[in-house]
Amino acid sequence: MYAVDSPTTPAHRAPVGPGANEPAPRRRKRRGKGDDVVLPWVLSGPALLLLAILLAYPVGRMLVLSFQKFELKELWTGATPKWVGFDNYTAVLSDSAFWSVVQRTVLFTAASVVLTVLLGLGVALLMRRVGRVVRMAMIIAMMFVWALPALVQAQVFKMMTDSDVGVLNYLIDKLPGVEFQNHSWFYTPTQGWIVITSCVVWAGIPFLAITLNAGLTQVPKELMEAATVDGANGWQSFRNITLPILKPLLVIVTTLSVIWNFGLFTQNWVMRDGKPEPEFQTLATYSYVQAFGQNKYGLGSAIAVLTVILLLGAMAVYIRQMFKIGEVD
Amino acid sequence: MAVVTATAPRRRKPNPAADGTMTVGRTRTGNLVANAAGVIFSIVMFFPVYWVLITSFKPQTEWSSFDPTFIPDAPTLDNFKSAFNAPLFKQSLVNGIVITAVAVLAALVVGFLAALAVARFRFYGRRAIILVVLAVQLVPFIALLIPIFLMLQKAELTGSSIVGVTLVYVVLLLPYTVWTLRGFIAGIPRELDEAAMIDGCTRGQVFWRIILPLTGPGLVATSVYGFIQAWNEFIIINTLNDPEHQNLMAWLMQNQTSRGTYWGPLMAGAIITSIPVVIFFLAVQRNIASGLTAGAVKG
Amino acid sequence: MKRKFAVAAALAATLVGTAACGGNSDDSSTSANGAVDGKGKTIKVWLMVDAQSGWKDVVDDASKRFTTATGANVTVEYQQWANVLTKLDASLAGTDVPDVVELGNTQFPKYVDAGAFGELDKKSFENSDTWLPGLSGACEADGKTYCVPYYAGARVLIYRKDLFEKAGVTTAPKTYDEFLADADKVAAGNKDSKFGAIYMPGRYWYAAMSWVKANGGDIAKKDGDKWAGALSSPESQAGLQKWVDLVKKYSKADVTKDESDQYLVFSQGNAGAFYGNGWEQGSAEEVRKDPNDPASALVPTKVKGKLAAAPMPGIPSLLGGSNVGVPLKSKNADLAAQWIKYFTDSTSMKGLVKASALPNATALLDAAASDNPKLAVGAEAAKNSWAVPASGKWADVEKANILQNMLSDILTGKKSLADATTAADEQIAKTLNG
Repeated sequence: MYAVDSPTTPAHRAPVGPGANEPAPRRRKRRGKGDDVVLPWVLSGPALLLLAILLAYPVGRMLVLSFQKFELKELWTGATPKWVGFDNYTAVLSDSAFWSVVQRTVLFTAASVVLTVLLGLGVALLMRRVGRVVRMAMIIAMMFVWALPALVQAQVFKMMTDSDVGVLNYLIDKLPGVEFQNHSWFYTPTQGWIVITSCVVWAGIPFLAITLNAGLTQVPKELMEAATVDGANGWQSFRNITLPILKPLLVIVTTLSVIWNFGLFTQNWVMRDGKPEPEFQTLATYSYVQAFGQNKYGLGSAIAVLTVILLLGAMAVYIRQMFKIGEVD
Repeated sequence: MAVVTATAPRRRKPNPAADGTMTVGRTRTGNLVANAAGVIFSIVMFFPVYWVLITSFKPQTEWSSFDPTFIPDAPTLDNFKSAFNAPLFKQSLVNGIVITAVAVLAALVVGFLAALAVARFRFYGRRAIILVVLAVQLVPFIALLIPIFLMLQKAELTGSSIVGVTLVYVVLLLPYTVWTLRGFIAGIPRELDEAAMIDGCTRGQVFWRIILPLTGPGLVATSVYGFIQAWNEFIIINTLNDPEHQNLMAWLMQNQTSRGTYWGPLMAGAIITSIPVVIFFLAVQRNIASGLTAGAVKG
Repeated sequence: MKRKFAVAAALAATLVGTAACGGNSDDSSTSANGAVDGKGKTIKVWLMVDAQSGWKDVVDDASKRFTTATGANVTVEYQQWANVLTKLDASLAGTDVPDVVELGNTQFPKYVDAGAFGELDKKSFENSDTWLPGLSGACEADGKTYCVPYYAGARVLIYRKDLFEKAGVTTAPKTYDEFLADADKVAAGNKDSKFGAIYMPGRYWYAAMSWVKANGGDIAKKDGDKWAGALSSPESQAGLQKWVDLVKKYSKADVTKDESDQYLVFSQGNAGAFYGNGWEQGSAEEVRKDPNDPASALVPTKVKGKLAAAPMPGIPSLLGGSNVGVPLKSKNADLAAQWIKYFTDSTSMKGLVKASALPNATALLDAAASDNPKLAVGAEAAKNSWAVPASGKWADVEKANILQNMLSDILTGKKSLADATTAADEQIAKTLNG
């Protein structure tokens, strides 16, 4: 879904060499100039058209909607929606429920991304220290987790933490002196979010670990050896050699994790049976419920617009990076 | 989500030397603590997957029991039968296959052309296109669901029509498709094109004889990724279409909320639904391997 | 263009159809009588999953009789309670609408209010003069009828006869205090930490509100033309407190769950009693081998043969149930009305009674109780029942989970009972007056 330059770029650029990014002046000399002006636009035309209809137009429509009162009546009768100025925005921004949703979404994103990246990196490093068989086992386990659809991942976590038939309560209850039968994991928001975060982190580790492990193969062995000879300990060589090499990759996977986790929908939606309590709402579910549950399409759009703005703010660094990519290419 | 993103490129640029030596060295040392940690990690990671598997083989008395069994006492295939016979299962399966196949194919054709343009041509607006492709992924698609719903609703492409949702999926897959294929095309040395042209090939012939065959593995990887994306999607289709015109994933979601949760049949359904994804996941690994040999042309 | 044409065509069809029936030319209500030639046509029916799991044979039989009479075919799509309203909203906006829609009696007023359903000729449906008021009330507006009652359910006390007897309780409790005393005895005899004398999940608002009603409280009251939440009134709070005390003292149920799977959990044998629909007794005692196949064999559970039901003493039941109506935009309104006629006639009702659902008319209640002894208690409870506030916006209160969230807040200690009810009152007033 996200066409971000994950390890693709560093990996394939290297063998192609510097020549790859050169424009093709020679060819232009040989071919008619007009050809190179029209043909590329013809080729990219269908893609641009589709993006315009189903991305650009909806973005515009969403902005317009956020300034309108669009509810069930407008939907059913096709009546022209009324302009309400900033009413939707004032309604949203003055609602304390919205701010707690924002706070929750940001907190969850921060916690889950930090955990996923740290654990992913840890596993990637671990993979380079274990034997061939164990590494194979790790890869197989991760591949299965990775291959599982998000919906199924959420459902199995819901089942395992069920207060009645859940295996987690059963296991914890087996510990001496711990009474955990019928424990409800969604009784307090904190515990509920621990379950949701665990699910997201568990599901996110394979991508991180396998990607970063691939990145680690790029660390020149000679460099590490030289460092050891020079008396650097493990931490020092990690900090001064491995980390700088991994950095571009880390930036990308972190960014991707932020984008994905900020838009959390499936996990909290599924674990709360499609009707999350206020304390289990995230921005994505909140906007969805306002629009499709409460039929307040205008209000829902306002929330969606605010969500996008927040995400863009958080992604400022990444956007800069993106423009750089656009420039280099 | 970005399933293939990582695997594909990793295999594209092999580094057997670094990989091999390091592994061998470590194995011989045999770091016990690390190996133990690796084993524990594997077990913890795999446990939920294992739980899906065994639950699907448990009869109702077992999966609804407060004292779960770790190996089914009386394994049964009833849950799978139940899922297969469940209302709308077969229909959702067919819908899912049709929608996914059409969306992936369309995204591939349209995306490939655009990728060719940005990878092989220098033209005014090229950078803008690249930026657009990169930028659209910053907009969470769920946010766009409201206007898209209203728009397709008006065009009568929702409800009992699968046209609307298929179009949405094409657009969903497009940015990734363009970007990845661009990378694969750019990876083919220009010298090959030029040499062919000097030998008298037309631009069309260069496309058919050089670019298309050499991007083959890329096309496979991209389409597999697209397949997984479209197959796993359930929020959009659940919002746009009625139950008779949804895919298997949406069917699975709905099955959960009906009158309590029947975990056994649900997990059996989950397995059936996941099987194509898992198979394709393994398939992509093989194809990427063949992509490596194709890359040997570079020599 | 296409859309306009379709609407016009639908309108024309309705007009022509009505004219053809005659009989009720003075208004535009659709009659279910008269001959309609439906050859080559197919009507789309939305029923809730309960019909699929409980009485699919009744649906199939009604459809068969309908097809024989009219020549038209029927496709039945079974819907989930969780998202049926969202789905309906979406499809009503288009032109491809279902021809018959089932909705809960608490949900119907909203759609009748919004003009989503077409008027029906009440007289053309069997037993229409004795329809249960709790159901038909949702169908009527300004003296016109927009839907047909389909079935009802009343909530009763379902308990473990064996455990009650073991605790020295041989007759069903007659008063609320007796009920609590019995619960104490059952609890005293079962010290297992998993065991709860009463299974009462925390988000079970139908139950909580029944306790409120029992104490003279109310969910909301209409004052002039404005609604005001009434949950923070002293009576309501006292009733709610009683319910909360009951949950805290006797229930081991997950307070973050609702009642949707209570019979499944109860069938594990870890509770003494639960408050449920009459048919849930059967569901707790026996399960289908294949839950997706209503024809598959019944498998006894741990509590098979150990259950009995009684009216919950001192607690009036919410009369739950469903109605069926014909959306205004349906292109086959006449056929749809005919299908409803077969689906709600006495023959179909007999089938429902066999499946332990209460029939749609008081005239049938007593016969139902004698035909199916399991229904006797429910039929009794149905006579002492209450209904949700009669507002077109009530469905939005349900959709926003206001009551469930209030109960969670109270039981998890996030808010005090007084604070939670005050907050809920505000939300309810805002929704109902919105």
